[in-house]
Amino acid sequence: MFDVIGAQLPWWVAGPGVGLCVVALYGLINARLGVSGAWLATLAPVEGWKPEAWRRTFLLALAGGCVIGALLGPPVVVHGYGRLSEVLPPVVLVPVLLLVGLALGYGSRWAGGCTSGHGMSGCAAASPDSVAVTATFFTVAVAITLGLHALTGGAL
Amino acid sequence: MTRGVRWSALGVGLVFGFLLTASGLGDYDTIHDGLLLKDPYIFLMMASAMGTAFAGLAVLRRTGRTRYAGRLSLPHHRIERRHVYGGAIFGLGFGVGATCPGMTVAMAATGGLLGLVVLVGLLGGLWLRGWVERRQQRPVSTEPETSAATRAAVAS
Repeated sequence: MFDVIGAQLPWWVAGPGVGLCVVALYGLINARLGVSGAWLATLAPVEGWKPEAWRRTFLLALAGGCVIGALLGPPVVVHGYGRLSEVLPPVVLVPVLLLVGLALGYGSRWAGGCTSGHGMSGCAAASPDSVAVTATFFTVAVAITLGLHALTGGAL
Repeated sequence: MTRGVRWSALGVGLVFGFLLTASGLGDYDTIHDGLLLKDPYIFLMMASAMGTAFAGLAVLRRTGRTRYAGRLSLPHHRIERRHVYGGAIFGLGFGVGATCPGMTVAMAATGGLLGLVVLVGLLGGLWLRGWVERRQQRPVSTEPETSAATRAAVAS
């Protein structure tokens, strides 16, 4: 909205920046920064267990930070769902996106974390499980993406 | 939750959300082009985040203490089957949707309202995994905390 950020931040700012976030959360409250864990905490009342108190604060702050980023920029303006919404009509796209979310949620709970919890925080701590999860999901994601690219004749 | 813990989660969450958004990770095309191995941005960002966090944690390990949660204890877990299975399912969602639990929030903030559909699916997937675990008479997984001491220190 305010166009302070004209374009995507360079990787050498964004990458070390999120790396420092990981270090800060460990160093301040001894916690592994993880977004799927924060979403999981919102389900705790339904399932009858007590989440760590900081997770809800973190999730709200994350959403707030995203809104600030969007207001100061936006660095990108998302229309529809990128190229995926050019290939799929809405009646197919919405169920596909629900399944995408389902896979992300089911997989991250099974694996015990996502791109942030395992991919950044766990790998930085050199935890073997995190390295395994990260290698697995990146390999599968690249294979699926290259497969979709071939199947759609380059449209995706 | 002490004030220190709350402010830590708030500050780190805000910066983390801001960086995810300002780096354009909420855009399908940014991630998709990365997974197509056409644009190195996401890999450079991820690698520099891991490298920075790795270096930062080396410094933290030397002090061995955290600001608000006592002694530092970083995650270190051996690889189990669930890491590979869960990682593979997560990778499926990551490949098709080119998003993850954190990036979806950035997507919604930058105008990608279809990201909210992914979020609904995400919560459904997290819940579904818990349902399966209860059916198998296992304790439901929450994201691993670093230690029992941390649980006590950051509990509300």
